[in-house]
Amino acid sequence: MTPDGSGKPLWRVIKVKLGLVIDLDTCVGCHACAVACKEWNDGSPVSRPLSDYQPFGAEPSGVWFNRVRHYEVGDYPASKTINFPMSCMHCADADCVTVCPTGASYKREDGIVLVDQDKCMGCNLCAWACPYGARELDRSSGTMKKCTLCVDRINDERLPEEERQPACVLACPTHARFFGDFDDPDSQVSRLTAERGGFGLLPELGFAPVNRYLPPREPKPLTGLEDARSLLERGLASLASPLIRR
Amino acid sequence: MKPSLSIVFFTVSSGAGLGLLALIALVDVWPSRLLPSPAVARGIGLALGLIVAGLASSALHLARPSNAWRAFARFRSSWLSREAVFAAALIVVGLIYLALAIAAVEDALRVSVAVIACALSWTVLVCTAMIYASLKAIRQWHTHWTPLNYLLLAHWSGSVLLLGLARLFASDAAPFAWLAGGIGLTALLAKIGYWWAMNDASGLTLERAIGVREGVRPPGMTVAQARLLDVGHSHRTFLTDEFGFSLARRHATLWRVVAIALGFGLPAMWVVAPAGNGGLMFAAGLFCIMGLLAERWLFFAEARHTVRLYHGDAKT
Repeated sequence: MTPDGSGKPLWRVIKVKLGLVIDLDTCVGCHACAVACKEWNDGSPVSRPLSDYQPFGAEPSGVWFNRVRHYEVGDYPASKTINFPMSCMHCADADCVTVCPTGASYKREDGIVLVDQDKCMGCNLCAWACPYGARELDRSSGTMKKCTLCVDRINDERLPEEERQPACVLACPTHARFFGDFDDPDSQVSRLTAERGGFGLLPELGFAPVNRYLPPREPKPLTGLEDARSLLERGLASLASPLIRR
Repeated sequence: MKPSLSIVFFTVSSGAGLGLLALIALVDVWPSRLLPSPAVARGIGLALGLIVAGLASSALHLARPSNAWRAFARFRSSWLSREAVFAAALIVVGLIYLALAIAAVEDALRVSVAVIACALSWTVLVCTAMIYASLKAIRQWHTHWTPLNYLLLAHWSGSVLLLGLARLFASDAAPFAWLAGGIGLTALLAKIGYWWAMNDASGLTLERAIGVREGVRPPGMTVAQARLLDVGHSHRTFLTDEFGFSLARRHATLWRVVAIALGFGLPAMWVVAPAGNGGLMFAAGLFCIMGLLAERWLFFAEARHTVRLYHGDAKT
């Protein structure tokens, strides 16, 4: 089971730790990542299809790997809206893998947690073990499904190198999502995490989630505000005066 | 958590069977013969019936039962896999034990098989309880009270059924009544202790879940309250189906009263009543199991999974 034969848990000896950085400062909550995820993975051989229930009915629902929720922190007017995308954290110490009785859930040497669709018996125990709600049972196939980190994109050498990234990262219009190796201190995700105080969700539960969230930046105080305002007012006045005169 | 009826029935029915089997095996290896062989055989048969009925019910929970045989694969890490392995072993040992009791074999073989059956019953009970107690994402389950409750409640329901057998077949049923009474009282105290322990306010919060402490907050503030603005989905999802179940406090109280009255009150009246009412014997066992079904339903209904925070709950 362990590549170096040391008997240590797999996650202690693996040398690649793939995951996502999500910038809560720039995320606008558009759900493009979630839709792109659904679109790509519905056609991917790894865990397709992502079944929909009543897609054109009164209460459409279905399997999603990525869900975006929206929170308000603080009380108006001193409040902030936070758009919060969540998918599998690809935990270093993933309990969903530990509790799986069939061996369907497993962690790859690159850190990606996957479900072998041929082995899963649909007991739901892994979904119960995951505090992040990353796993969803597909009622049509009777198996558990989850984010694959687009394992079939990131390793596909037929794709141009810049496209070997998860669909959610490529789709993000505000560049709020980054993909990379957290084990490499020089990777973009490691540098962003260090520079911006990136954090993992609920580390006290002990699962060592890999994905990192970047908190909103503290706004810089505006300098030259008065200049800008007077400039703006003069510009507006010169634009508006011919209209008002008429 | 959504109370899955197949699992509620499984844990209660198999629990009663495992408790009964463990107690019967203990009584059977006791130096003085407390229960004649035909009664022991009937008890083993009843216990195995309850265990198999429970296991069959648990299979109904699986979304893809054709892969159930694979559940033996992860014995080294998964409590569910361990439960499957030990339960399968127990069925085999239980059937051998049943055959020995029917044949009224009185030798060292029967004693050793009884000891193994007892040890396996306890092992399966611990595995079942640990499936729930090992889940760190569910605060109400991830506690030492969970295995304690599972073990005691299984032995309580088992001891009520055992007392029934004793009243019908044993020359002196008094020791069995004392046994049931002692286990019942301990089990009741442990269940009340669990409910008392769950009242504490030490759960995780929504603020903790989204990282308010780590900087997800308005500029210039150090603490802030968070609330859900929009959950992002328009209709029910797997997550809301599975974890969104909520129980109103007054309903919880009602369920607790039902669980205690049916699960403990009625059977206890029968435990302290004088011998001779054989017709009511299994009624008491049935009441006990019905009460424990309510208790187990509540065990699920009152558990608050951590993902509920992300759906807007203030705390777990």
